[in-house]
Amino acid sequence: MDALIEKLKGQIIEQLNLAEVKPEEINPDSPLFGDGLGLDSIDALELIVLLEKHYGIKIEDPKDGKTIFQSLRTMAEYIKANGKS
Amino acid sequence: MVKAYINGTGCISAQNTIDESWFFETVAPPSVDYYNAIEPSYKEYIAPNLLRRMGRAIKMGVTTASIAIKNAGVTNVDAIITGTGLGCFEDSERFLLALLNNDEQFLTPTSFIQSTHNTVGSQIALIMKCHNYNFTYVHRGFSFESCLQDAMMLFNEGKESILIGGIEEHTPNYVNLYRRAKKFQEQNTAVPYWKSETSGTQMGEGAAFFVLNKHQTEKSVACVEGIQTLYKPKTTEDILDKLTAFLKMYSLTLADIDVTLMGFSLDVNFDKKLQELLPTIEKESCPAYFKHLSGEYHTASAFALWLATQLIEKQNLPKAISISQKAPTAIKHVLIINQYLGINYSFMLVAKV
Repeated sequence: MDALIEKLKGQIIEQLNLAEVKPEEINPDSPLFGDGLGLDSIDALELIVLLEKHYGIKIEDPKDGKTIFQSLRTMAEYIKANGKS
Repeated sequence: MVKAYINGTGCISAQNTIDESWFFETVAPPSVDYYNAIEPSYKEYIAPNLLRRMGRAIKMGVTTASIAIKNAGVTNVDAIITGTGLGCFEDSERFLLALLNNDEQFLTPTSFIQSTHNTVGSQIALIMKCHNYNFTYVHRGFSFESCLQDAMMLFNEGKESILIGGIEEHTPNYVNLYRRAKKFQEQNTAVPYWKSETSGTQMGEGAAFFVLNKHQTEKSVACVEGIQTLYKPKTTEDILDKLTAFLKMYSLTLADIDVTLMGFSLDVNFDKKLQELLPTIEKESCPAYFKHLSGEYHTASAFALWLATQLIEKQNLPKAISISQKAPTAIKHVLIINQYLGINYSFMLVAKV
């Protein structure tokens, strides 16, 4: 799980162009949206594409995104449970 | 006739014009056969959460607009009008390459949203919270000229304060394609721009923004008295006839023009008419050139307008841009004669206030 979280950190930084953020600064349990990383709705779309592109996961119901993208850890847990790679 | 008073300017170019005190202390040569803009640390001008999604054209546009607005001492404007030939090229390329590389799947929204030509104008409006008229002209070599014409028409309709600007960026892919098409000068030529006998130009990029006002204020540094565009003039005589008629509208002749900034591009295919026009200009006025500072691009005329404003403000025609040995005693009128690819010609008349 820790390895997957570290991998996700790098992918998120690259996909969302968070050039100012270092991987060690991202707390896996902090919220991704709002207070934590401060992501917004466009980033949510980027994360949906990231899951599909890198892990073969298609989120059919956008409402699920709220739970999946709560934090880096919830994202990693969802990938572990549903991912193809 | 309505005038457009220039109350604030901002410029990013191949010269260090982001330093607002710059006036020919250093003149940067082209890196190879094209010019890269000298860009600032954008963190000083744009919030990090906005910055991470912006391509270079947007960063250059938003930054120079914010400098112009600060210099004009305004917090909002009645209209935002931008001009660009290529738009946000970097994001357009990114989006299209992703489309190709991922077999038309996994398309992400950011580069698509940011790729449209009007992104610069809309980002400025969002940052300023300006809900007024917002328009972007994509008219190739007339893109910036169209902004200025629109602004002057809006002044006739009662608008007071308008932000206009021209923006262009190039990318490594674009530069490579240009080079393969042999559109560049193949080597640094020692021949002056106005005497070129060879094909090819030196491409440039940059952004220049202006806060214009319908009325003169204490911030006014110069004013645009008139603008005219000329599409594919057939002969040099055509240009001269149109120029004479243009100046006559303002009760002027060429002899009243202190400095004439001419848009020589270094490509003889497109400069021929300006080369033929030069002796007439030289007889009556002090000719100067500017694309050896900015490089050639669709909205290089925005850089020329910025430069004209500087010449009037400083009352100085530096040797670095002067074509002849003549020096004006004072700079009251600057005429810009620009051309792009020998197709789009324009006159802009700028005056001291």
